[in-house]
Amino acid sequence: MNRIRASISTIWAVSGIVIKELYRRKDFYVLFVVTAVITLMMASVNFFHEGKIVRYLKDICLLLIWISALVIAIATTARQLPAERESRTIFPLLAKPVTRGQVVVGKFLGCWLACGIALVVFYVFFGVICLAKQDHIGFWQYFQAIWLQWGMLAIVIGMVLLGSVVFSAPSANATICFVAVVSILILGSHLHKIAITEPEPLSVLLSSLYFLIPHLEWFYAVRDRLVFDQNLIPWVDCLLATLYAAAYVAIFLCGTWMLFRRRVLTT
Amino acid sequence: MDTPKDQTKSQKPKARWAPALFLCLLCTTAFTLGAILQQRVYSWTGSGGGDLMQVLLGNGRRVLADQFFTTADIYFHSGAYPSIFDRQYPSTNSARLARGVQETPEQEDAEHDREIALLNRPIDWIERFGRNFQITKETHLSGGKEREILPWLKLSADLDPKRVDTYTVASYWLRVHLGKPKEAEEFLREGLLANPDSYEILLELGRLYFENYHDLARARNLWEAAYRRWNKREAGKPRPDLRALDQITVRLAWLEEEEGHYAQAIKWLKVALAKKASPNPEGLEARLKELQAKLKEAEAPSPAPKA
Amino acid sequence: MSVEAPSILSTQSPARPSSNAAVIRIENLVVEYPGRGIGQRATTAVKDLNLEVYQGEVFGFLGPNGAGKTSTMQVLLGFQPPTRGAASIFGVDVRQPIARQRIGYLPEMTYYYKFLTSEELLRFYGRIFRIPRPELEVRIDSALKLVELEEARKRLIRTYSKGMQQRIGLAQALINNPDLLILDEPTSGLDPLGRMKVREIIQRLRSEGKTVLFSSHELGEVETVCDRIAIIHRGELQVLGRVADLVEEHQMDLERIFLKIIGYGMNHQREQRA
Repeated sequence: MNRIRASISTIWAVSGIVIKELYRRKDFYVLFVVTAVITLMMASVNFFHEGKIVRYLKDICLLLIWISALVIAIATTARQLPAERESRTIFPLLAKPVTRGQVVVGKFLGCWLACGIALVVFYVFFGVICLAKQDHIGFWQYFQAIWLQWGMLAIVIGMVLLGSVVFSAPSANATICFVAVVSILILGSHLHKIAITEPEPLSVLLSSLYFLIPHLEWFYAVRDRLVFDQNLIPWVDCLLATLYAAAYVAIFLCGTWMLFRRRVLTT
Repeated sequence: MDTPKDQTKSQKPKARWAPALFLCLLCTTAFTLGAILQQRVYSWTGSGGGDLMQVLLGNGRRVLADQFFTTADIYFHSGAYPSIFDRQYPSTNSARLARGVQETPEQEDAEHDREIALLNRPIDWIERFGRNFQITKETHLSGGKEREILPWLKLSADLDPKRVDTYTVASYWLRVHLGKPKEAEEFLREGLLANPDSYEILLELGRLYFENYHDLARARNLWEAAYRRWNKREAGKPRPDLRALDQITVRLAWLEEEEGHYAQAIKWLKVALAKKASPNPEGLEARLKELQAKLKEAEAPSPAPKA
Repeated sequence: MSVEAPSILSTQSPARPSSNAAVIRIENLVVEYPGRGIGQRATTAVKDLNLEVYQGEVFGFLGPNGAGKTSTMQVLLGFQPPTRGAASIFGVDVRQPIARQRIGYLPEMTYYYKFLTSEELLRFYGRIFRIPRPELEVRIDSALKLVELEEARKRLIRTYSKGMQQRIGLAQALINNPDLLILDEPTSGLDPLGRMKVREIIQRLRSEGKTVLFSSHELGEVETVCDRIAIIHRGELQVLGRVADLVEEHQMDLERIFLKIIGYGMNHQREQRA
């Protein structure tokens, strides 16, 4: 029990550093300001003297939030382990009673919590914009949107963390992961349909890929539901999606740990 | 004789200014060359610059304009929209938003059924589960919420002012569903400036004057102008836009009939029949006969009053 | 336990501080790195190293670049598993994370999290050791006072000079009040005043009964500070003993002894003859 408590304390301490990094760096503020400025500019445009148009504004604001959150998640995560090695802080850290597994989990948790904080800030702004244009906002719809987006970001963070022990340069890792995430969002749900039209062995390859990749597009669909004021997603499906995200996170973290624990760290 | 120290002193001001002067010289050369080359570049590309969007996006703005038009359509269907992978029968450019304007509800429904056919059959558990998150229930905007499509139409027009559909579709929703004929007219005139040869915009502008302002004289002028533009642009084509011709001529016939100018109305229907514009020539023939009867009745001398 | 140095130069059995227990014990340690290319042979960085460091002593671990010092230290700190042999700290196998509970480690030139202040950095490391909050605050104060960074405690580390970075490194190594301190080139990048300060800190730690394992190329410094030294060359232990004994035995200063052991003199003469 004491060991578990010590482990949690260590993971928590490591994650705290990542959170501090988020609010001490400029990335988050720049993205937030860009999102706010673009949204406010779009809100100020007069379309045929119609003051009650709100959906396009929600759409654009949410799109910017999604892009910003992905950029924050990918950029923050991609640099964590490489920066520890480059600045050599990994050595004093691992010279303490910290395992490499705890470092991996701590970094994941830190990035995920940092993204969660960023999401809350973004969604508060989004809520204010919506309230300025319409009478009410559906609290549970918003909760589902944040929760599922945060769940998706967990998968992305896990993926990028794994990438950071596979690829040597953080920039290469970030670019590859960004392309992969965007591709999944756009094509993920259609791969099996494309596979049907392709000859062998490409067909088998695409079908396998379809069943292997994390289907991030499910989570992205919540954005549309919020824009078009749709009903709540059944809570059971929300729970299943959360478990699905947790399973992929576990797979990615396990992979990261397996690679990272074998990595020779030269002083 | 100067000591080395004195020499350094006397050379110092020169040395200090030399790099700045050299920089000025380089800048002057660069700006001069720029001014000369700019004219030459315009002559190579055949354009004189254009607006910011054109400069930034080039021909890509047309693709974006198409996408925004489609987005307006997606908004009209409350987000339930099949992707290109789901679509068995690919939609045309003007999309379903425009069909909603022009077709009968039956035709529209049949088209929808075909398009969302694949959406109803999930292939595997991944797709089945994913449906829980997607918007699958299609509803059309109504009760004033049609306004939500307007920003995308405006943005589409801004990006590609040559896209005529954008103006006519926006005008339809503005004047028919949102009660904003003034804004519709402004937008159509904006479109006409960018597309002076567009019979489609003139047709829609005529409808606006006819249906919203009940200004029959202006509507006639506009539809006649539309007919002239149609002749100029389409008449020589192997596959002319007969649907537009049908709309122009039939509306002109209708207007003339309302005014009691049966001969004129007959003339327009005959044009439509001669060019085989109508998808329902039998109906048109019947209408023609009706009008001819009306004309005969009108031209017949009124019976002499009974003694 | 006595350590049998394989070198002929070590004629005297190494002196061992009386009554003290071994804090570090290395037995028949072998560290090999696999060849990078196909068919390339593995490189042996450390060959059958046997070493003991006792409580309360300042131990200098010397050797030219590529001698195997770093590999030995990496094994001690758990960064790398030994290929063969064993190493323990306070009787705990170095592969167990708990073995590092009582260690303070100062790596060579580390750029600490530049978005933190020094007190935040120390708080972070303190939390890893699960030091209770009030006690941690006291330790942060004293560590910062010791390394003379009290005035800069609220400043972000990105604004620190190289010397200040090294000092904050020393402070983090001391935050858990370690019984064993492993210092890798602790004075590199420091000005003479900074070096003197580090020496003072090491002396003070010794007086408190702490054990210090200390690697450096500054032989003069080693001579001044260390009780015992080990010189390692090509992965093998060449010399192990008290500094004063070695100087007396060889009738030369430590620098010359070092050069003689690594064969510099002979090579140099050979080169000159050629």
